[in-house]
Amino acid sequence: MLGLSLNPVIPIRSLRSARKSFRVFATDPNQQQVNLSVLRFTFGIPGLDESYLPRWIGYGFGGLLLLNHFLGSNSATTPAQLRSEALGLSLAAFSISLPYLEKFLKGSTLGDQSSLPKSANQVFIMSEDITDTQKEDLAWGTYVLLRNTNAISVLILLGDVLCVRGYWDTPEDASKAQVLDWFKRQIVQIGLSGLKEALYFPQSEDSELWKMLPNGTRSLLIQPILQPSKARYEETKKIEGFVLLASSMNYAYNDKDRSWIEAIANKFRGKNVLINL
Amino acid sequence: MVPMKAGIGCLVLRSPLLWNTRFQSLPLSSSPLPSSSFSFIRASSTSQSQPQGRNYRGPKPKKDWVADWVSINDDVVRSLPIYVGGVSLLAVLFNRTISGIAPVADAGSSQSRADLLTLGLAVTNILTGLVWLSIRPKSISKVDPQGVECEIIYSHFPDSVTSELLWAWESLSVVTCCRSLIIIYNSLCILQIGMAAESSSDDGKAAAVDTDKLVQGSLYRAVMKSGAQSYLANLSLYPGRSELPFLPSNTQAVILQPLGDKGIAIIGGDTIRGFTTSDQAWITLVGEKLDATLSKYFDLPLPGH
Repeated sequence: MLGLSLNPVIPIRSLRSARKSFRVFATDPNQQQVNLSVLRFTFGIPGLDESYLPRWIGYGFGGLLLLNHFLGSNSATTPAQLRSEALGLSLAAFSISLPYLEKFLKGSTLGDQSSLPKSANQVFIMSEDITDTQKEDLAWGTYVLLRNTNAISVLILLGDVLCVRGYWDTPEDASKAQVLDWFKRQIVQIGLSGLKEALYFPQSEDSELWKMLPNGTRSLLIQPILQPSKARYEETKKIEGFVLLASSMNYAYNDKDRSWIEAIANKFRGKNVLINL
Repeated sequence: MVPMKAGIGCLVLRSPLLWNTRFQSLPLSSSPLPSSSFSFIRASSTSQSQPQGRNYRGPKPKKDWVADWVSINDDVVRSLPIYVGGVSLLAVLFNRTISGIAPVADAGSSQSRADLLTLGLAVTNILTGLVWLSIRPKSISKVDPQGVECEIIYSHFPDSVTSELLWAWESLSVVTCCRSLIIIYNSLCILQIGMAAESSSDDGKAAAVDTDKLVQGSLYRAVMKSGAQSYLANLSLYPGRSELPFLPSNTQAVILQPLGDKGIAIIGGDTIRGFTTSDQAWITLVGEKLDATLSKYFDLPLPGH
């Protein structure tokens, strides 16, 4: 199984349809929840997303309006024309923002165009001195997260054990131990292992945290792995580690994705590995 | 009623899983964890206290006002472009009339060209608004399954396998609309958890799974033959429903996930078309993991990798 072998190269398929390219035998023709459209307009060109049409029309018509204003007539522009143009330009601005608003509507599957980072290389490194079962679990967990979400880089820290997979900006000639060391130092510096709640950065930010991420990362999700407390009403939970996912898309993880990522993180719970970084 | 194969014990969880499933909440809120107690897994855990680790010093995500506002006012935002486009259309015509220009659609003058472009933008907005309204997802209410709760696990498993099976159940029940989970492997019913139909003897216990009958039935054989997941999105439409008598009678949707070629996971949900394509993909991958774990336990070679 690809996930259980230690092969670092995972074919990252067309990122926008990664989740749809698996073998499923659907017996219900109306399988999708959002299949009720009556007015879907399409050019029929594959790869062209008609949801961005208002944006292109906004740019196009807005440009033509400006052209018309400066080159259209020989006489001075009338107030009526100025009003009309002002209205047209504000409508153009609104149209340009429509795909951005559509992203947040329920049932939206709109994703930003994304690209693989050019400078990063694919890696798959794990700490030494861990049991075979742990190796398999980490390999499977990282494989599943890379394959089924929009993430292109994943890092799992579990106690003292680190697993890094995907596209990372690691120097070509560094040894495995050196790379792991470098990651651990970054983690200690930012204090990531003390995180108690999930953090989601849907857009790129300029901060120290992002320095350890590959160039071109736009969204970041950090999901802590918490051990549930034994006493029923005890609030404090022990932190066992975290799962870090980076993607080159904005708004890469929706609510459903984040629930599943948390479920996968819970798989590593209770492995009796304690934080001692 | 054919009794289940000998050797199946019963492990009872102490408390039902508590979970706030309102994931319509803001995209940046932290998600609470379930507070359940899996006391029987902790047999080998140590009780030493651990240092908390350094506190997190990194950045916190900014609050995304636009995203929050749009998610909360979904209906209003969907019809917003229609109103904007409609009002602009009227405004353009109004502008033409009060300026004393005849409302003729010719591109002769600069004014007319500007008006036409603005009209074109208004119409684009109206059409976009109509498309957004038409693709609004239908909200289907869930149907509480009628039956009894049960937690039956094959008792000869080591802790690691049991905890993996329970993790699978916890993930499915929390993230998806799954309310019943049955796993058959190697012709044994190794897991029956969640809601189940009441047994015919009416003693308040769950209906037992007749694995022999299930394995000979058409649903099982079709899934095993294709080797791929089968999603019955609206269970009431399928005559094969009668082969799953152990599920609550009003189960709305079922996913049949083959575990390699030796087993099957039957996942019952409480909403029609309740499992999204994302859920299906995850279930396929979780099924592969369970197959790897179970086949290692039963000491069978993994089928051709």
